[in-house]
Amino acid sequence: MMSRMLRAGGDINLAKSLLAYVALETGTLPYELLLSYLTLCVQGSHHSEVFDVYDIMKTRFKALDTGACSLFVKGFSRTERWKEALPVLESIKKKIVPSPRNYSDVIAGAVRHGDSATAWALYSEILDKSLSPNQDTWRSLFESGLSDRGNDESLQSILFYMRDNQVYPEESLTKSIKAWFESLPGGKWTGRWSTVEPSAVCRSCRARLESIKLNEEEYGQLKDRVMKDIIEGQDVFNKTTPEELESFKTFVKRRPAFDVVVDGLNVANVTGKGCQSEMLLAVVSELEQRGLKILVLGRKHMQHPSRSWNRHHMRLIQEKAHCFFTENISEDDPFLLYAALHSGNHCNFVSRDLMRDHKACLPDISTRRLFFKWQRGHQLVLNSFTPGKTVRFQRIQGYDTIIQTDETSWHIPYDEDGGDRCSYEVPQKWLCLTRVD
Amino acid sequence: MRLLKASLVKLIWRNCNSKTPVLLGNQSSWLTPIFHFTPCRTRNLCTTLVLRKDSTLSSDQTAEKLDLDVWKSVMLSPGLQEEKENENEEGALEGSGQDGEHSPLEATRELVETWRQAGRLVPEQMSEEQLQTLENLSTKSSKKKYLKYLAIKEGHKKARKVKQEKRRSERMIEMGEKKSEEGEEEGDAGGQLKNTFMLQFWQHSVDSLHNWRAAQAMLFGQPLVFDMSYEQHMSRRELENTVSQLLECEGWNRRSADPFHLHFCNLQPEGGYHRELVKRYGASWNRLLITATEQNYVDTFPHSQLVYLTADSPKVLKAFDHNKVYIVGSLVDRSIQTGVSLANAKRLKLATARLPLDEFLHWDTGAKNLTLDQMIRILLRLKDTGKWEKALEFVPKRKHEGFYQPRQTVRSGTFLTDKAKTFINRETGPTSSYKTRTFVNREMGPTISYKTRTFVNREAGPTNGAESKPLTQSGVQTVFKPKRFVTHDTQPKSKNNWWEEE
Repeated sequence: MMSRMLRAGGDINLAKSLLAYVALETGTLPYELLLSYLTLCVQGSHHSEVFDVYDIMKTRFKALDTGACSLFVKGFSRTERWKEALPVLESIKKKIVPSPRNYSDVIAGAVRHGDSATAWALYSEILDKSLSPNQDTWRSLFESGLSDRGNDESLQSILFYMRDNQVYPEESLTKSIKAWFESLPGGKWTGRWSTVEPSAVCRSCRARLESIKLNEEEYGQLKDRVMKDIIEGQDVFNKTTPEELESFKTFVKRRPAFDVVVDGLNVANVTGKGCQSEMLLAVVSELEQRGLKILVLGRKHMQHPSRSWNRHHMRLIQEKAHCFFTENISEDDPFLLYAALHSGNHCNFVSRDLMRDHKACLPDISTRRLFFKWQRGHQLVLNSFTPGKTVRFQRIQGYDTIIQTDETSWHIPYDEDGGDRCSYEVPQKWLCLTRVD
Repeated sequence: MRLLKASLVKLIWRNCNSKTPVLLGNQSSWLTPIFHFTPCRTRNLCTTLVLRKDSTLSSDQTAEKLDLDVWKSVMLSPGLQEEKENENEEGALEGSGQDGEHSPLEATRELVETWRQAGRLVPEQMSEEQLQTLENLSTKSSKKKYLKYLAIKEGHKKARKVKQEKRRSERMIEMGEKKSEEGEEEGDAGGQLKNTFMLQFWQHSVDSLHNWRAAQAMLFGQPLVFDMSYEQHMSRRELENTVSQLLECEGWNRRSADPFHLHFCNLQPEGGYHRELVKRYGASWNRLLITATEQNYVDTFPHSQLVYLTADSPKVLKAFDHNKVYIVGSLVDRSIQTGVSLANAKRLKLATARLPLDEFLHWDTGAKNLTLDQMIRILLRLKDTGKWEKALEFVPKRKHEGFYQPRQTVRSGTFLTDKAKTFINRETGPTSSYKTRTFVNREMGPTISYKTRTFVNREAGPTNGAESKPLTQSGVQTVFKPKRFVTHDTQPKSKNNWWEEE
């Protein structure tokens, strides 16, 4: 009990005196007390104590629990006796799947003592168990790559793994990557911190980055998946009905390809004040002035005249744009996605919705990545406005924020330390690595 | 300065010589001024104060150092090791005997035991089935949650047992006392027979009455369908919860004055629902007076009679129809999935309806999905009385702030403000609106309220002609009524006021 108070950062000697007292009083020490003492030692890096506790617990208790094993793994990996962490890891494996943190500790220990073969073997184990490795693991591996030259391929494969899973490295990891690149013999890589201009050109090396547009194959795959998983899903009745879906499909087929699809309800509710149909009319008029073919999606209640939905406004909207109204109990967002995808790669959609619930319906991570990429390239987000003023949209990025390479350069976007980025945002800072031959 | 005790001196000595900063909490608060000086100065301070104890102190210090590691030697001592070897031997014997049968479960058993040792929330006994489910769970957190659930259940059982024991022992003591009081006159039989005029009415008779009523309902009563086709949408725990709720539903139905004829439709014989129901009911599953069938309700009843009750429906149920067959989906959605039951209804093209919760209740926070036993109690009450206020009592009180009446019964030109969302008893229409009027004017005293009363009567004029009589009569009463009856009329009660019986 008192050990838990000590865990708030107490002195090791105090803990020891407590243990001495309990041992002398009762003749033995309970497991939990030893466990909390062990936590204290590992936190404070008192390595000799860790060794002693390990001997004691091994002799005294039949089996160690997974928490104690994790602590031992962490404790041993920081010392010269790091090899003894491996059998402890094995004992964890028998009961539960070890966490990536356990692996990261052992790999760090192996790298610190120069044994990169074991480190790489453990890393391949992580990938086999389809766990997601820690950024610390990668950092240790890159640091090992500075001295041990044999694993350059594997280190590059880490970068491709990060690309495939859309992982952005933290600043410390990025620094290790930079150091590794600069230590490569013969290539003469140089790394510079940079940002990207809106025209998709890197500020430091003037190279053009990958475009945000999807290629043909990816586009077809995404279109297919959106229809199957988002709209139909497990049960097509959850979001709509088959009849409605058929009528929508025929509607889209008969009309010419649209340039922009508007989410009627989302746009109408941009600001709380004002009439909703007025908002929608303003946006539709603005888009019409730019000469675009518009499709407006809404629900049937918008057609009934009421205070929010003015009959005159709705008539004007129907003159300026094609309209489709779904049942009041159906969801209109999947139809929006289908129409936008069906019209082609040039078609954008207007909505402030993040579409995260629809992205979550997709089954695997690569499709989700494609969806997110397509969304960033095609979603026109409305800035809030009042009906009198002009309508403004946020700018669409023309380039894809992901680790990318061409023959002579690598561009790596990274997260700053202390920065706060939401999951639907992308980082703005880049590391630009160029090779000078 | 000789007030310094030996223990405190030891403390100072240790602090002087330790290299790491010590957090001693409150004890060190008065010592800290000394620490402004360098350590050697404090040392001098100590030694000047307690010169005599110098020699003892040094030995104490080495004693302290040894003391801190004494627990290690205690733990590693051979005596304890022998104990552990004995344990190991016994464990090995047991282990080799059971190895063939339980080797896949051994690892999980060991896991549970080590976690119990480490102090985590883990049950003490686990059955084979539970160990098997634990092994099938793949992630560490799901295992932890399952073990925590089992541990809490075990804890409840233990607490109940302890209580029972205590009660039994108390009762024994009481009985013992009584017996000694009554003496030996009554004898054994007298101890059990009570000297009273009331006939003993056993629970058995009540049960048989309920069963007869349920049997009658099966022949002549209105059908109510529970749709059991949601097994794929629920986890194991949710399925267990659903079956618990179904048990309660059946009980409430049987005990009501006019039961429904319950149908459990789409009940697959090998499915999870059936398995769980048999487990819970045991032998009495075959004696239940309900209809459990594999068929769909669309096949059993004509299409026009079916109405699916679901919270996602756009249509609101206005009144209970005794000719329709209502369908309730037996789904517990702790993992919130909206629209599942509506999707079912859409597929079969059935009429849907939802309860008029918004029309009668001032909703606070909470899902509008109600549990199955709440639903059946609402439907039973609605069937008996036809009044929504009485029926919607069973909606949990934490979800709403009380019933309210839309402002249709408030007359214009009265003293009521617009914002008077009065919690009124529906039956006492115009009289209750008058009640609040008197409350508003209470401070002015009885004479003035009488004046306003007459003023109102004149103003109300011919429209209120019919009601003027009850108004004056009630008016006399309400002036003297205490405040609290007027403001908080949330209970839908029959107030037994004499003028309401007219």
